[in-house]
Parts: sequence; C-alpha cells; structure tokens
Amino acid sequence: MKISLNWLKEYIDLSDLSTNEIVDKLTMSGLEVEDVTDENELYKNFIVAEVKSVSKHPNADKLSVCEVFDGKENLQVICGAPNVAAGQKVVFAPIGTIIPNGNFQIKKAKIRGVESNGMICAEDELLLSDDHSGIMVLNENLPAGRPITEALNLNDVIFEIAVTPNRPDALSHIGVARDLSAIFNRDLRIPEINLKESKHKADEIASVEIIDSVNCPRYSAKIVLNVEVKDSPEWLQNKLTKIGLRPINNVVDVTNFILHEIGQPLHAFDLDLLEGKKIIVKSTNEEKEFVTLDSKLRKLPKGTLMICDAKREVAVAGVMGGENSEINPSTKNILIESAYFNPSSIRRTAKALQLSTDSSYRFERGTDPSITKYAAERAAQLIAEISGGEVAEGIIDVYPKIIERKEIILRYQRVTKILGYEISNGKIHQILSRLGIALKDLDENSLLASVPTFRHDLEREIDLIEEIARVNGYDNIPVVPKISITLERKIDQQKFEDEVRNIISSLGFYEMINNPLESEWEAKLTGNPISLANPQSVEMSCLRTSLLAGGLNSVKRNLNFGVRNMMLFEIGNVFNKKSDSSINTFEDISEKQNLILILSGKEEEKSWLDQEKYFDFYSLKGFVNAFIQKISLDNQLTDLYYSSENELYNYHWTKNFNNVVVGIGGKVKKEVLNKFDINQDVFVFEFNLTALKQITPEAKKYFEPPKYPKVIRDFAFIFDKYVQYLDVKNFILKKASKLLKSVELFDIFESESLGRDKKSMAFTLEYYDESRTLTEDEVEKDFNYLISEILKEFNAKLRG
Amino acid sequence: MLDEIINQIQKEFEKDIQDADSLKKLEEIRIKYLARNGSVTLLFDKLKEASKEEKPLLGKKLNELRNSVTEKFNSKKELLEKSETSSKEFIDLTLPGKTVKLGSKHILTQTLEEIKQIFKSMGFSVFEGPELESDYYNFEALNFPADHPARDMQDTFFINQKFLLRTHTSPVQIRVMESMQPPVRAIMPGRVYRNEAINARSYCTFQQVEGLYVDTDVTFAELKGTLVSFAKQFYGSSLKYRFRPSFFPFTEPSAEMDITCFICNGKGCRICKNSGWLEILGCGMVDPNVFKYVNYDSEKYVGYAFGMGIERIALLKYGINDIRLFFENDLRFLKQF
Repeated sequence: MKISLNWLKEYIDLSDLSTNEIVDKLTMSGLEVEDVTDENELYKNFIVAEVKSVSKHPNADKLSVCEVFDGKENLQVICGAPNVAAGQKVVFAPIGTIIPNGNFQIKKAKIRGVESNGMICAEDELLLSDDHSGIMVLNENLPAGRPITEALNLNDVIFEIAVTPNRPDALSHIGVARDLSAIFNRDLRIPEINLKESKHKADEIASVEIIDSVNCPRYSAKIVLNVEVKDSPEWLQNKLTKIGLRPINNVVDVTNFILHEIGQPLHAFDLDLLEGKKIIVKSTNEEKEFVTLDSKLRKLPKGTLMICDAKREVAVAGVMGGENSEINPSTKNILIESAYFNPSSIRRTAKALQLSTDSSYRFERGTDPSITKYAAERAAQLIAEISGGEVAEGIIDVYPKIIERKEIILRYQRVTKILGYEISNGKIHQILSRLGIALKDLDENSLLASVPTFRHDLEREIDLIEEIARVNGYDNIPVVPKISITLERKIDQQKFEDEVRNIISSLGFYEMINNPLESEWEAKLTGNPISLANPQSVEMSCLRTSLLAGGLNSVKRNLNFGVRNMMLFEIGNVFNKKSDSSINTFEDISEKQNLILILSGKEEEKSWLDQEKYFDFYSLKGFVNAFIQKISLDNQLTDLYYSSENELYNYHWTKNFNNVVVGIGGKVKKEVLNKFDINQDVFVFEFNLTALKQITPEAKKYFEPPKYPKVIRDFAFIFDKYVQYLDVKNFILKKASKLLKSVELFDIFESESLGRDKKSMAFTLEYYDESRTLTEDEVEKDFNYLISEILKEFNAKLRG
Repeated sequence: MLDEIINQIQKEFEKDIQDADSLKKLEEIRIKYLARNGSVTLLFDKLKEASKEEKPLLGKKLNELRNSVTEKFNSKKELLEKSETSSKEFIDLTLPGKTVKLGSKHILTQTLEEIKQIFKSMGFSVFEGPELESDYYNFEALNFPADHPARDMQDTFFINQKFLLRTHTSPVQIRVMESMQPPVRAIMPGRVYRNEAINARSYCTFQQVEGLYVDTDVTFAELKGTLVSFAKQFYGSSLKYRFRPSFFPFTEPSAEMDITCFICNGKGCRICKNSGWLEILGCGMVDPNVFKYVNYDSEKYVGYAFGMGIERIALLKYGINDIRLFFENDLRFLKQF
C-alpha cells in the first residue's frame, strides 16, 4: 500500500519529524515500510528548460540537435523524441543527473558524432507514467532553471507499507495516521463534514432493501443530483497519482480518494440507470453471468452477494461494479454506496472470480461498519464541491442489527506476566486511548476497554497486550540473561536419521536433497502416488513414492555437468496411497522416511596405485552391509536374492525383518535409465528408515579374543556354474563340527580348462576352540569329512 | 709369543675394518675374526695351553682384544647399513597418496545440525510431524479461520479439501502439545511446501525449524533472550538485532527478528533491499486460541513459539545466490561443503 507523507500530514502534525524517524517508528510498531521514495531526492537535479531551437542531426534521421536554455546558458542537447519543438518548456536532466527509470547517470557524450550536454525527459523516464511517446511538455509559463520538484510539485515522500492481514484499519491514510498518533502521542485530526443539502429528500428519490443481512449488515446510500462528470481538479488528480492510481473522473476519483483517506470502499452508481431507483442486496441462488465495469464477462457462482436494482444485478458486492450502471460522461444523478459486507462472503467471491480490487482487499479483511455514513457524506460533500452537484437531504441507511463495540477487561499484572517487564498504567492508558479505544478504570488492577468497530483484531485481553507492546516498542522489552532448564529426559526424534547421515557420509557418499514433487510417470514407477489438486505443472503433480526418480534425475544432471562418478544418498519422506479410494483420513496415506544409496560410474579411477574399476553389484552390497553393521542390525536382517529381472532391476536383493521387506536394491534396468537419459550403469539400494528405526539393534557384547592358536585349512572345488556361493557356505557350516568358526571364499574363476559351465571356488576354513589347543588329527578328520560331503552334495570335483 | 700374535691380529683387523666398504666384505671380516673358526675365537683355545701364571694376564688381554674388535666391527656395520639402505631403497615420498572417498552431508543438513545443536544445549527436545497434513493441523488449530486472508500468506498445495502439504512446521506444535502436558520445550525441524514459482529466490519446498516453549512463567523477555542467544551463537557474538511487530494467527503478540545485514554491515545493499537488516525468523507468544485447541489452560500457561527457514539462513551465510543450487545435487556443489 502506498502512503503519501504530504497527504498523511493533513491528519497529524509530523512537521518536526524526519522521514527516517517516521519510517523507523512505523516499521518498529508493526506497519512495515518496505520502500521509501523521496521525490526531493529522486528529482533533485531536474530543472525546467526552454527549447530555443531544433535542427536535424547530421548523421541520424530520428535525432534532433536542440539548443536548450537552462536558466543560465544555452546548451547543445541531442533529443530523439518526435514531438520536440522550439519554444517548449521541458524537463531537463543536466550532466550528472541520475535518471529514476533505469538508475543511470547522464554523462557528457557524443551521439553519432555530435556533442550532447544533458537529456530532455519523457514521463516514463521520470517514473511519472508509462508514457514514452515523446518528451514531457510543461506549462509555457514556467521559468527556465526552476527545479521540477517545485515546478511540478514533486516534493512528497511515498511509503510502500506492508500491512499484515490483521490490520485492515491501517489500510488508509487516516489509519496510518492513527498509529502515528499513538506512537508519537499527538492528536489525530479527522476531517469534519460540512454538508449543504438540497430540499430533495434522499429517501424519496431512491430506496435500499437488504435481503441477505448476514452478508450485508449495513448499507448506507447518499444521493447527489445534477453533477457534471469531468476531470478532477489538479489537487485530487495529484493525490491519486502519487499513490499510483489513475484519475478517471471527478465522481470515481472522489470514491477512490475516500477509500485511501479513511479506508471505506465506495461505489457510485448512475442513479438513472438503476431500475426503479432501487437497491436490493441479495445473494444469487444460481450461477450467473455478469459484465463488470472493466467490460469482462464474469461467471458468478451460486451464493455470490450482489447489488441489484428492481430488475437485475448492477454490481458484485464489495468487489466491482457493473458496466450497466457505471458513471459515464452523461451521468447526471448518482447514488453513492457505502456499505459494510461480511468479510468471508467477499473473500469467497474475490477468490471465485480471481479478482482482487482495492475494495475487495479491504472488505475481506474487515472494514468499519460504523464509518459508512461518514464516508458517504464526505464523498457527497466533495463530489458536490467539485462537480457542481447538489446533495439530496438525508441518508438512506439500512442497518438492521447494530454491530456494537467490544468490551475487554485488561489486567495490568497480565501485561507484566506476558511481556516480562512492567509498563506504567499511565502509559497503557495513553497508548490505548490514542488508538481510539475508550477506557474506564474498573479498579486499581484492571480497566475496561471499549474497542472501536474498525479494530476487528482486538477481541481479547492478549490483543490489547500486543497493542501496548508494539506501540511502546519491542526494543523496550528486556533480554533475559539466563533461562532455567528442567532435568527430565530430552527426546530427539531425529537422532536415528542423524546417525544414519553420519555413517553414510563417512562411507564416502554425498547427500542430495531432491524435490519431493515429481511427475506422475516418475511417481508411478515405484508406488501408488498421491497427486496434488493444484499442481504448478505436470512435472510436479505428484508426491514421490520413493527416492528413486529424484535420485536418477540427480544422476542425469551430474552426467550433464560432466560428472560421471557418483556416490549419492538421500534421506526423505515418501508418500503412497494405501488404496485407490479417495483420501479421507490419515489411515488412507502412508508417509515414510526412506534412505537411498546410489552408485554410478567408477569406484576407482586408474592411478599409479590402483587399477580402474567400475561400481558393480558387489560394491553396492559392500556399502549396504557396512551400513547395516554400523547400526548393529546385521543379525536382525536377512537377505533374499533375485537374479531374474523385474520392472526396475536386472537383478536385485532385499533386506528383510521378520519376513517384511525393509530395503531393496540392485542394478537398474536400461529401459528405466533410458527414461532419465542415463547412459551408464546405476546401482541403487533404498531402505525404509521408518521401519529400520523401530528395530531394536543387537546389544553390544564383549567377546574375548581367542587365546589358543587357530588351525587354517584351504580347499577348492570345481562346481557346476549355477551352484551359488551362499549355498555351499551354508552347507559347510551345517556339516562342520563346532570347531569350525569361519568359512571365507578367497577365489573364484571360470576357465576352459575347468570345462564348460564349470567354475572353481576356493575356501579358507578357520578352526579353533576357546578352551584348548586343537590337535591336527581332529581338524584333519572334520576337514576330510567336509570334502567328501561337498563332493556328494554338489557333484563337485576337488581341485586341491 | 701370544702377545705378538695378539698385536698382529689387532693390526690386521684394524686394516681390514678400515678397508671394508660393504656389508659383504664386513661379513668376510666377521668370519675371519669372530666366527667359530675366526682368529680371535681360536686364540681363546690357546689360552688353555698357557701356564697358570700367564693365564690371568693373557685372559685379560684376549678379552680386551675381543671387545675392541667387536665394538669396531659393530660400529662399522651400523655405518655401512645406514648408507647402503639409503642408496638401494630409494622411495619417492612426493607421489600422490591413495584417494580416499570423503562424502559429506548436504549444506542444508549441516546448517540444520548447527541450529539443532544450539537449541539442544538450551534444553530443547527434537520432534517431528508429517509433511502431508490435514487442514485442521496446518490451519484451523493454529487459529487460521476458514475464509480468512491470513491463509493467503502461505500459498498452499492441496491434496483435497481436507488434506494438504504443510506450509509450515507449526502443525507439529499442535501435535506435540496434544501428546503431552507442559512444560514443553522443543524444536521441530522439517520440510514444508509452498505453491511458489521456482526461481533464484524462491522454491516450492524448503526446510523450517519450529520452536515452542510452554510453561507457567514464560515471557516475551525470555523469548528475546533465547533467540538473541541463538543468533549470537550462530552468527557471531557481535551481531546487532531488532524485534519488529508482525502478525501470525497462532502467536500474539507476534514479531519478526532482524539482524544487521552481514553482507554490507548494515549500510544497505541489494541483499537486504537497502534496509541494512535481514529478517531471520518469526516468533511470538502462543495465542490463547491455540491453547484452546490442545486443552491447555491459557490462564495458567504461557508459551512462546518461533520459526525459521533453513535455506534462507544457508543462502545468507554462504553467499549462495540461487536457491535452486540446493536441489540440483551437482556434485561440484555438494563437494564444496
């Protein structure tokens, strides 16, 4: 919202305060000043100049060489505007001036070989309008050399204020002035009404009926007859222009002026276009089409609050008037609407029409139901003054149920309890009274506050405490130097994921954070996705069902960046619909936290120390098992292997707890990678961290290292190619005596010499006993027994 | 007689040891003098033949000879060993070492961990809540009335009429208060979503840390003290700050905390929009209406709450100019932290 300092000063004396002081205090009491435009600063070098002569530029068709008198001397200036002519008074930017539009500085320059000593300006360059059709031509009576801050009245300061949604009362100049009156403890001056009314009685000319009084609690109407619709006087146009509004005509401009003066939106109807000279306020009971005064056809949903005449709709209440009844050049008699509408009704309409106007913005936040009469009268007075019309006597004011001021008890000690410091009763009284709140002392401990109807946000004691705190300044609230802490156990629900991040990153993985919103096809790769009702785009229309697609997209991006070797991980929530029916309760949704590990490219680059090696399934398995071991779940989880392909993987394996899958991964299929434009192998493993978190890890226990020597034996067999390592290992462990403590594979190979579809696997066996030294004989016996059993079981051949 | 032999052996040894220039030659010397059949060892056999009178003196001389020969031999050996290893086993210590893979946590995670650590040291617990929330927890119980413009402050992604992606971590406040009685002192980090255009300054998702403290004697002054302590620990103890009134439906009074822009030191720059201040968090005293929803007695209990965005803090702290970099996962970016 733009606020003009000069305009503000009509309601409060600020002459002794600097702009900085005002800006700082406004911001520090809740009306945040986001931007300040000081016209004196912005236009400080610009002056009025006279164009003495114009001649064609020798080297450019569209440029002119002008002789310009700046009040002291004649200067040669190049100008590109088509309308420049001798004798004009223009806005001139001498060398060194900074042009507001674009923020560049004028320098002495040669333009196509001809020297130029300044610039003649167009309106857009001065940010006065968007007009760039030609230079700005000024009143010929202005003397050359006069600063334009004086000549054009550019001596205001414009504040851009961000008003929070709870403060509709501050959405006007008087509203801002009221806060300043509390902050600086000085009087607020509200303009008095001074009406000259004619003998025609308003309620005999027109009538108002409210049918939907829930959504329209009050409707006041004032009538002005015999107006002459024309341009507004300069003072009014100037006021509106300063705050970024475009002047339209003297009637509409007054309604806009009142809105920005006191915050009450008004609408002026051409009374003669109102059928039956009647206003009926009611909600539509079916969908309707309606043309608003911006000539747009709008679809109104059922239940839209409308202003109607005897026959038809004439305005969308609180949002925008209709084309069928708007003020036009031939309008003679007008009806000024000054109403109070139910905020949520206006908000629903504005949302449904996707139309936010200065009016709807204020109505949906809550205007002052008590001000409608004042605003209508002030508007009628101004319109009569500047359009020559006469104000009909009296006001039509339909207000079936008066909205009363709220009364709140404030306990002084509660102020201290909430804020942590004491503010004197006198100060409290002063602040609240300056905000327009009527006060009555109840006893020495409390007061009764009667809150004006423009403060919808003040309903409870705590709301008054906030007013006191903000006006007195948050800076005055002390900063405690110490706090007390209870000694009970502290909970950290993120401890597990923090630990997981530490482990995975220390294994060499880099953490990713991917956008959880993805396209439907991506989300459908791994689950039953939940889609958004209002997505930004198809690429972000669903919640991820796993971390796979996000991870693969990051792999793709890295490949595009030229990074080919990757160890990536991510921890994030994934979402699935539990069934295909609609989502009604949290039971219909599954939200879990997952962890994904991704390997792609080379595990080892070729170097003087190492051979080049690409990541493979066994790299993945190594990292996954290292992680599981680190979180002490290696004995709780079981592995299942699937060597045939499914939709995602060429081959994969799962980690399971009590027969429930808690992790899955493998080599991602080419068909899947192609969808992500990835042209190298990718190995992934994804855990359900929510499930892992719930598994109690095995308690750490101390085992004494063996005291007696180990006996080591090796053997190698030729197996059928399809015999799996784990089957052989488990068989050995099953058949061996208790003295066998470990079986490790140390070599595996296939070769022609072994025969087709054959392979060799070699194992190291470790025997020992915790309580004695083993004899060669007992080991030899078990070892030989194992050999014979393996030969039988696997139809193997002993190699050595 | 034996005396002469001793002297002769002594002289011969001195010469030999002088000439020995390799461990190989030294080994020959050892065999010649000190081994089982070496000349020095053999002399001891001759001692048996000597007379009783001669024995003590000769024995002493022989021992002296053996000691002196052994000592000289050892020091020569040491010398030769040193020089021979240095010339034979040359090692180029400047060759590059084995490449060890480092890995790292995302810079946003690191930032969050730093924040968590500070609040944990001040007695805060850590709680979580779901990202897919109900309208009730995200808005209604936080005192956002239906059809109220306050809801426009946060552009929302909806699943349907009832469910949405949480727009802030504040719903976790409600969930925590529902689950326990005061005192409650907790932070609640998590991911939130806003239906905002993706560009250098904004993204459709980011992380927040919510804070809540409810007890019988909580004050705005304590809120200020706690947040100032946090900011000084996180940004540096010389920082200047201000608390500015603001509006959140679930706190009353509400404030925003600004700190001096550390890019320009408060002089005004592009980052702080020439104000000299950077907004780092929103906070306030828990609105009594919120207590109503969780059945806390608002006469008895007072609380404060605060919330801050992690991305914004990390952008500012590390001078990163595009928020999208956090979500691209470019390893050249990730490896910098």
